[in-house]
Amino acid sequence: MGVNLDEIKPDMTIDCKGLSCPMPLLKTKKAIQKLQPGQILEVLGTDPGSKNDIPGWCERAGHEYLGVKEDAGFMRFYIKKGQ
Amino acid sequence: MGALKRTYENLCAKHWSPMMGGILLAFLVVVLEAWYRPWGIVGGLRNWADWFFYHIGLYDEPPALHPLWSSTSSILDIGLIWGAFISAALGREFAIRIPPPIEFVKAVVAGILMGIGASLAMGCNVGGFYMAVNNLAANGFIMLIGLIFGVILAIKYLYWELEHFPSSGGFEIGFQKIDPFLGVIALAGLLVATRAYFGSELDRGEVMGGCLILAAGIGYVMHRSRFCMVNALREPFMTGNAEMGRALTVSIILSAIGIAILKYNGVRPESAYVTPTFIQGALIGGFIFGFGMTVAGGCGSGSLWRVGEGQVKLMIVATVFGLSNSIVRHIFAEYDVIENGYLGKAVFMPDYLGYAGTILLIALIVLVWYIVIDWNEESNRLVLEM
Repeated sequence: MGVNLDEIKPDMTIDCKGLSCPMPLLKTKKAIQKLQPGQILEVLGTDPGSKNDIPGWCERAGHEYLGVKEDAGFMRFYIKKGQ
Repeated sequence: MGALKRTYENLCAKHWSPMMGGILLAFLVVVLEAWYRPWGIVGGLRNWADWFFYHIGLYDEPPALHPLWSSTSSILDIGLIWGAFISAALGREFAIRIPPPIEFVKAVVAGILMGIGASLAMGCNVGGFYMAVNNLAANGFIMLIGLIFGVILAIKYLYWELEHFPSSGGFEIGFQKIDPFLGVIALAGLLVATRAYFGSELDRGEVMGGCLILAAGIGYVMHRSRFCMVNALREPFMTGNAEMGRALTVSIILSAIGIAILKYNGVRPESAYVTPTFIQGALIGGFIFGFGMTVAGGCGSGSLWRVGEGQVKLMIVATVFGLSNSIVRHIFAEYDVIENGYLGKAVFMPDYLGYAGTILLIALIVLVWYIVIDWNEESNRLVLEM
């Protein structure tokens, strides 16, 4: 996981701020369908549950979870679409 | 100092595994039932709503029990929210989270449905399903069947909603800097309040002090492990993830063994939490409640620990849920719906199967459930396509 999150240029960003479970994961699931393998999705969220849900889902769905970084009042999650 | 910091991280900051949450929850509900009564959620919310409706003049009579001085149902809910707040604050996860507008509409509709469903099943997923099963009542598993179908329908609705009403624009008002201080103050307050109950002149002061601190323990455990029955029932159909489901099945069998012993030895009456809702009340109530809780994003207990975390949507859900349940139960009382047996019969399983037979049946059902969701985690055969 030697990815520098500050250098990532996401191909798509979705806003899940203020949403609670299960909406962030559902929106993530839907958004990633629109990307090509290797492209990167950025998810903006505030739900503490996403810190468990998103990495867990990536592992199960075959996507690469690149990490999360804190911003002002929300989190940025980065996911690389798998094959 | 390293050990202190690590201990704090492990107890107050890191998320615990769902399995850890399920096992600790089973322990706490058995202890609470040994102390005084079965765990419940909706009774407390209804008690608050009854007071509200009485004060605005809608009801002629105030509720029999005062929310702070005599209603243990109310104390259990206060304790749960309090404990969840302590956990959220100590872990720097407490923040006021404001969702996009559509979520407010969903919260109201979901809350109304949950109130109706919990009236028919005579309990939410806690009193009507989880605690009903571990109190050896047949209506518990019937509600589970209803819940599952309600959850499936709600997932389909949520998929449809994503297509037609994409929402964004929520935000959070954070307190991360002062969270741990708030947590310490809340923890001290909890200890003071518990001590005050134990030392009070109230009829059942000790009982209520014990209920308060045990419910706070439940709230703390549920928040730390993000233990969620909606998640347990929903994920097999949404992502295939079975982690929370496995934790719930283990929690059910452990708590059933503990409570069976309490009832067998006469510590609690056998009729406790055996409600006359077998079959129709539990089935229809479970279906309506299952749909509502999935749209809400929290069941009876899950909504309350999320209130403690500062989720505004779930504050609305919990409020409307209580108000709705109060009105429907009021209508039921007008027409003697429960007394006339319109919702079903009260079936205490050991009357038919004996205690050992009942525990074996519960073990068998949760084992099959465990195997099915585990198999589905590999095969995704039950997952609904978007």
